[in-house]
Order: sequence, then C-alpha cells, then structure tokens
Amino acid sequence: MTKEELAAYITENFDGKLKPLDSGRYDPLFEVEADDLLDVARALKEDENLRFDYLCNLCGVDTKEHFEVVYNVASVSKNLRLDFKLILPHDNAEVESVQEIWPAANWYEREMWELYGINVLNHDNLTRFLLPDDWDQGHPLRKDWDAPDFVRLPEGE
Amino acid sequence: MMAELRTEEFIVNMGPHHPATHGVCRLMLTMNGEKIVKIEPVIGYLHRAIEKICENRTYAQCIPILDRFEYVTSMSCNYVFSLAAERLAEIEVPERAEYLRVIMLELNRIASHLLFYGVTAMDIGAYTPFLYGLRERELIIDLFEMTCGQRLTYNYIRVGGVSKDIPKQFVPQCRKAIKIIGEKLTDYTGLLNENPIWLERTKGIAVLPADLAIAYGVSGPVLRASGVQYDIRRNDPYCIYDRFDFEIPVRPNGDCFDRYMLRIDEIRQSIRILSQALDGLPEGEIRHKKVKDATFKPPAGEAYARIENSRGEMGIYLVSDGSKKPLRVKTRGGSYNQLQVLPQYGTDMLIADLVANFATLDVIMPEVDR
Repeated sequence: MTKEELAAYITENFDGKLKPLDSGRYDPLFEVEADDLLDVARALKEDENLRFDYLCNLCGVDTKEHFEVVYNVASVSKNLRLDFKLILPHDNAEVESVQEIWPAANWYEREMWELYGINVLNHDNLTRFLLPDDWDQGHPLRKDWDAPDFVRLPEGE
Repeated sequence: MMAELRTEEFIVNMGPHHPATHGVCRLMLTMNGEKIVKIEPVIGYLHRAIEKICENRTYAQCIPILDRFEYVTSMSCNYVFSLAAERLAEIEVPERAEYLRVIMLELNRIASHLLFYGVTAMDIGAYTPFLYGLRERELIIDLFEMTCGQRLTYNYIRVGGVSKDIPKQFVPQCRKAIKIIGEKLTDYTGLLNENPIWLERTKGIAVLPADLAIAYGVSGPVLRASGVQYDIRRNDPYCIYDRFDFEIPVRPNGDCFDRYMLRIDEIRQSIRILSQALDGLPEGEIRHKKVKDATFKPPAGEAYARIENSRGEMGIYLVSDGSKKPLRVKTRGGSYNQLQVLPQYGTDMLIADLVANFATLDVIMPEVDR
C-alpha cells in the first residue's frame, strides 16, 4: 500500500473518525476526537489490512493555543506508517491511555504527564520519571515555562 | 530440614553507578535468593532537557545539542534531525552529500557495534575483547577526526548536506580500515564462540519473544535477533539506501548469544554497504545551495523522521511554526524501549544473567534520559 492508498483506505473505512490534515509533510497525518481515540486505535491495530501493531513514538506538543498528543504508529507486518493526533484544551487537559493497545505507550505517556501536565486516564503508573522525585516547579515542556536562570534575549533578524 | 528455612524477598539496587549499566541507570531488583522477582528501572539521572533546549535554538544550533542525545552514534543524531528538517522544507540533498552521509552513518554503526562487542564481553567477564574492539574502533574514530575534527560529537551532517568535504586521504584510509575490520571479525568470533564459558553464559539466556518485542516497540538488532525481519533502511527507506545491495541479518532465538552475533553480522553488511558507497562516491556539491544556517526557516508543518541506528529506531518528531526555531523537537531512541521491555521478560533468572541480558540489549542512558 502506498501512502496515497493508505490515506484513501483510512478515509473510506473509518467513518470520518480520522480526519486528514494537510500539515503532515511526509507520512499521512490525521486528527482524531478525544472520545474516539480508543476505538480508532483499536481499529487501526486490528484491521486486517493495516495491523498497526508498533508504536514508534508518542508525544505531547504545546502550540501556545492548545495541547496536541501525537501518535506515530507503524505496521511491522504490512509495512505501513501513519501519524494521528488529538487536540486538547490547555485547561484540564486529559487523555485516555493507549497502553492496553500498545504497551510501549506506558513510558511515553508517563513522560508526557510529567513534562506537559497532561493527565493520562487509566494509566497504571503515573509517578515521577525523568525529573527529580521532589520536583515542584511545574511542567518544563510547556511554552510558558522557563528555567529560573534562563534569560530570553530580544529576537533579532 | 530445607522446608523449615525461612526466606524472604529483599531489594538490591543495581546502580546508579554500576559498571554494567553503561551510564547512570538504577535497576531496583526484588530478589528471592539469587533469583530476580521484579525489576524496576529508575531513570532520569542524565536528564538534560535536550528537547526544551532545542526549542530555544535555531535549527542549525540544535544539531550540536542533539549530538549529546546519543553520543555513541552522534552521526545518526545529526542525520535524523537533518532528515526531519529536510522533509519539512522539502529539500533535495546533492548526490555527493548523500553518499558521504551513508559512509558516515555506516562507519558510525560499525564503531558502535565494536564498542558493544568490547563492553558486552567485559561485562560478562572477558577482558581481551574490550581491547580488540576499541583498537579497531580507533581506526574509524581517526577517520571522523580527519573529516570534522571531532572524535565523539561530530556536528558534521547538516540540514541540506554535510559541513565539510572529506580530505584526500579519506577514501584510501577508509578502504584500509574496513578491510582490517572485516578480517578481524573472524578473530572476534573465534575468541568468544569457542569459549565454553561464554556459550554457557549467553546461549538460551534471557529469551525475548518476538510478539513482546513488537508490543513494546523494541527495534533494531534486538528485534531482529528475535526473528523479526524489520529494518528501517529496507522497510521505510531514507537517504539512498535503496541503491545498495545488502542483507538484513535475522536470527531466530532471541537470546543473548543471538543478540551478540547479530551485531557481528551487521558489521559485515555495513562493510558491504561502505565498499559500494566508496566505489560510487560522485564528485560535486556537498550542501544544498539555498540552505543557510542562520536563516533556515522551514514552512509550518510537522514530520516524523526515523532511521535505523545501531540501537534500533531513532526518530525525531519535528514541528515547525514557520519561524527560525522549531516549535517541538521530540527525540525517540531505541534504548528507551529496550529498557522498558526489560522488566517484562528479565525476571525469574539469576542476577548474573541480568548483567548479560542488560549488556546485550545495548542500552545507553543518554538516549533514555535525554
């Protein structure tokens, strides 16, 4: 399946639950609603023409207006690649865990919870991870967070 | 009599400063006698917030920072970031630069596997291979030093090409180096594969099943040693790897011995790629003309680039908002998932086997903690 065929297959078979986005520059990129996340993830893994069984990467993004959670998945047996993301508001951002579907998500979600403060529901181990155990200075990867000794220089040309 | 002896579980902390953890990783082991009941990796000792630092730098300034992301193969770190940025900006890279990149990436893969060979053997208790592995690795480090002046963090591959052309003596010296390494491989395997202690310590030890490996996102040599033929150079081709004739070694057992031998097989394949790349190396430009470090601004968009590194899939998820600094740089390294899967299959074996198991996963901590 080429990238175009994959994008067409997804549009046909997912009842519009995966909406194509044009900001993806290499692999097909879709947007998913938070309520559909688990259904879509399970369908991607179980569809016999797709079999997305391998989670390459999962990460949060802060665009200043909202948070995004990005899932980069691959299929080892069918040799496919696909990205999808969901958009969350800044306030009380929370997302369902996908570790039941892709166990690899466990650490990625834990890292996202710690560095972005995005709450992960039904995760089995949300504890301090990369930061020190007694860390109380917020979520460092948020755009409004600067290190205490960081000096932002005025933007030059 | 034996039934009346009271036993209880206890905790052993392996690390953070332990010679076999290759960096500062702490494994909290719950032990029952000499058997491991539970493994809990504690990480973060080497967290330098590379992703946050990159968000406050221009694209060109990110590359030397990312050198430190996985410093054993920093050519790959340079390359995967450049690849992501090139996908965002839709840049074509000149032929000669693509060949130079393949040469550097494969040399770095060999250097990394030679280090693996040395330290793994040393962890299991054989000292000589360490000296052998590092002796041949030096030949490659010399080539890097001659090209970019650096021995560990190269900052060589840039967005749109490479930073410098290779000196005249590079090609003959590189041919000589890979010839020597190719010949020495027989010595390497001869030293260990006929040693009954080595075989006892590695064969059938710590078997990682293929389905567990895929579920936990394990990649690279560890995945292929579990019998899964998956190599990003073949399955999601990047650079010019589709032009070279090479095999993807696979081994079926998933034990420590297969993980070690797979890397020796990979060195042979890398030598094949290298000799083809050296033969085909064209003359010409080494950098895309329109890319200037100070003013490089890819249009808004996002791309995930992934490459086959010596420790598995190395990826960068790059988001641009159209300014000269990236909005998000997410780094993904093979070691992260290799360490994550360890508690799932590494229990119910002797603590001495954990050392062999951990060594053959080839985890390095800067890639986990970032």
